[in-house]
Amino acid sequence: MTQLILYNVFNGLIIGAFYALMALGLSLILNLSDVINFAHGGFLAVGAYLAYALIPFIGFWGALVVAPILTAVLGLLVERVLIRPLYGRDVLYSLLLTFGLAYMLQDGTRFIWGPQTLPFSVPDWLSTPLSSQFFFLTGYRLFMVLLVSAAVIALFLILRFSRLGIRIRAGTRDLETVSALGVNVRMLRSLNFGVGIYLAGLAGVLAAGMLGLQPTMGDSLIMPSFVAIIIGGLGSLPGTLVGGLLIGVASGVTSVFFPSASDAVIYIMMGIVLLIRPRGLFGEEGRF
Amino acid sequence: MSLLRIDSVCKSFGSLKAVNNVSMTVEPGELRAVIGPNGAGKTTFFNLISGFLTPTSGRIEFDGADITALLPSHRVWRGIARTFQITEVFPELSVRENLQIPVEGAFGHRLRPWLSRDDDRKVRARVGELLEMSGLTARDDRLVGELAHGEQRTVEIMMAIALNPRLLLLDEPTAGMGDQETYDITRLIRMLHREQKLAIVLIEHDMRVVFHLADRIMVMAQGTMLAEGTPREIAANEEVQAAYLGKEAA
Amino acid sequence: MPKLTAKLAFDIVVWALLATMPYWLDQLGGYTQLGSQILVMALAATALNFLLGYTGMLSFGHAAYFGLGAYGLGMTIKYLAGGTLSGMLVGVVVGTLAAALIGMLIVHLRGIYFAMVTIAFGQVFYFIAFRWDNVTGGDNGLAGFHRLPVSLGFATLDIVKNQITFYYFVLAFFAISVAVMAWLLRSPFGRTLLAIRENERRARFLGIPVDRHIWLSWLISCFFVSLAGALYGLLNNFADPHALRWDQSGVFIIMAVLGGMRSFWGPLVGAAIYVVLQDYLSSLTQNWMSFIGLFFILIVLFFPRGMLGIIRRRVAS
Repeated sequence: MTQLILYNVFNGLIIGAFYALMALGLSLILNLSDVINFAHGGFLAVGAYLAYALIPFIGFWGALVVAPILTAVLGLLVERVLIRPLYGRDVLYSLLLTFGLAYMLQDGTRFIWGPQTLPFSVPDWLSTPLSSQFFFLTGYRLFMVLLVSAAVIALFLILRFSRLGIRIRAGTRDLETVSALGVNVRMLRSLNFGVGIYLAGLAGVLAAGMLGLQPTMGDSLIMPSFVAIIIGGLGSLPGTLVGGLLIGVASGVTSVFFPSASDAVIYIMMGIVLLIRPRGLFGEEGRF
Repeated sequence: MSLLRIDSVCKSFGSLKAVNNVSMTVEPGELRAVIGPNGAGKTTFFNLISGFLTPTSGRIEFDGADITALLPSHRVWRGIARTFQITEVFPELSVRENLQIPVEGAFGHRLRPWLSRDDDRKVRARVGELLEMSGLTARDDRLVGELAHGEQRTVEIMMAIALNPRLLLLDEPTAGMGDQETYDITRLIRMLHREQKLAIVLIEHDMRVVFHLADRIMVMAQGTMLAEGTPREIAANEEVQAAYLGKEAA
Repeated sequence: MPKLTAKLAFDIVVWALLATMPYWLDQLGGYTQLGSQILVMALAATALNFLLGYTGMLSFGHAAYFGLGAYGLGMTIKYLAGGTLSGMLVGVVVGTLAAALIGMLIVHLRGIYFAMVTIAFGQVFYFIAFRWDNVTGGDNGLAGFHRLPVSLGFATLDIVKNQITFYYFVLAFFAISVAVMAWLLRSPFGRTLLAIRENERRARFLGIPVDRHIWLSWLISCFFVSLAGALYGLLNNFADPHALRWDQSGVFIIMAVLGGMRSFWGPLVGAAIYVVLQDYLSSLTQNWMSFIGLFFILIVLFFPRGMLGIIRRRVAS
């Protein structure tokens, strides 16, 4: 029994890490530019499929490095052409646009690679379990947790210490002041968007290794990302991180006792948070 | 009995004391001005009176009742109306519609899905009255967003009047206006004060307006009350002159 | 009063077209059922626009109540041996009740936050429909029920086989719903909603209890959306989880935007265009989803004011 719970908690942490990775990207874009990127799941899928296409040429590790970057480039293009015209307009429009974009990305991946699930080859030595007692601790899963942790830590370090990061954080608080201080706000938004999409692409490559490839793979991850942001608190990146992990673990634990409710539990948690502490765990007051 | 009593009210934001121990009484029908340099806490003070903010300490009494923690919408129904520093109106609605909404509210019709012919007539009559008072009858079908700044301000003031307030708070009514518009608004305020017999408290930077209209003036600086008195007294007060009035004499 | 006459004329034209649609739609290559579908979607989009275009609150989760209407209807007919009207009643009650409760949780939120939360709550119902598959049919949807003739005491409406009768059945509900919504919007209550949309702070300082009015607007909007959902269930003799998803919500919104959010008939115009377009595209190509997505993007970038918005601008200038 303990093994089962441990398995599910660990599984939950992995899922939670994914949610967090996705949600962090979403949150970055949301906080700075007030854009809800419905197409985030689509970019995740693009990242995964690009990796799949690249593996025969540059192998798994090459694809792991290159695919998210390519996805981010696509993201930059999208931001420049489609999203930039919408800044300053009602939230509604960016929602609708990214919504349409999500449709296009999903259909596009289906068109190019077909609707069936494709297998994703992961280096063999990663797939073997590390211990017979904790069979679920495959190298790949551990690797994923490590990689996601590294990405998150890198993100927070960048935000804290790099020039770009400082400007992003300042811009999230007060874009007008930042622009009055001579920062190129357009560039800032673009780069910020790019970083967010990079995270989505990275999550895509990792997800492919675990779940295989499907045009709809982004769909199941985007909703929980929303919930993670709501629970963690709008405007707070640490909150989003915690939110993602929390719902992942909650989902994992619930699947032991109430398997059919494991999806619903995250929405129940969201409902409770909204009731008791509407701004989320780490949210700032009056942000909405 | 005083209409409005503010007793030693304080408002802090973290370690910042925006309003520090300010007291004021306003009698029915008085016209008070609150002046002071930027950042003196005047708008915060207004926000405390109108209910947008709750004081950290102190007490606010209106018409004998304690309203310190009362919600803004409830204060409206007790008789306190206000305008804002940046004109707040309904830009995509017509002048008539902008006035209709508070008039219907004043008649108690807010939630009504329909109006009887009689009620409808009364609403229209009142809206017509307000339009005439402010000289806006010719503009009644224009979208407020398309009007000149001064006219938008006028609409905003008349919306507040439509609520039949006993106390009207005007936050920098002549901000951003040229001489002619300032003159028109000042005349409007004076006319409303006389004919509607209400108490008015106004925040102003334009000293001509202040000395023209006010019965009493309160000077604020850095969150505290610096001086209080009649226009003559204030003009003669050396501290006030030093702190603020120096450039513009009465 | 030139403005009133133009509006009145437009109203008359719209009603005339709707009243005779089965007779001219065929000529244009359509079919009566398509007309019924347009009406159902138009009702949903108009209901959504009550909240979006007139009160200024963006809900991306309205499909949930749409779906509840459909499922409520379906399950009543299938499991409780109910008739068409009782099925519709259950669908509407379930949808409205859910909306009332959820509304209380979210009505103090604004903007993006409000939108996100409505999406998330919508998903809850999607999941229930998906998972509870022995009752709802899961991913395959709820089948095994169909419209039953409606007995009015003095006559029986055969809405089962006769598509034209069914069209007028739907039209009747559409007409009443739309009339009620229009009437509400023109009332003092409706004006408070406009006030809230235009300037919430000012509305609050005019004594309007904003949250309460938003809740009422939300409730009314969801009521009519769930009615549309019940009609949708009747239309297809089928209820599926995808009717509950946020993409369905997005479709309603795009209909309102396409037709023009600020005008009452905007959603109807938008619904008509969208339904016809989707019908046409899906018979033409497998990749209709890309085209619909592209369509969304083009509308947002180039026609944000919608069809009727453009016409109105021309008239005003």
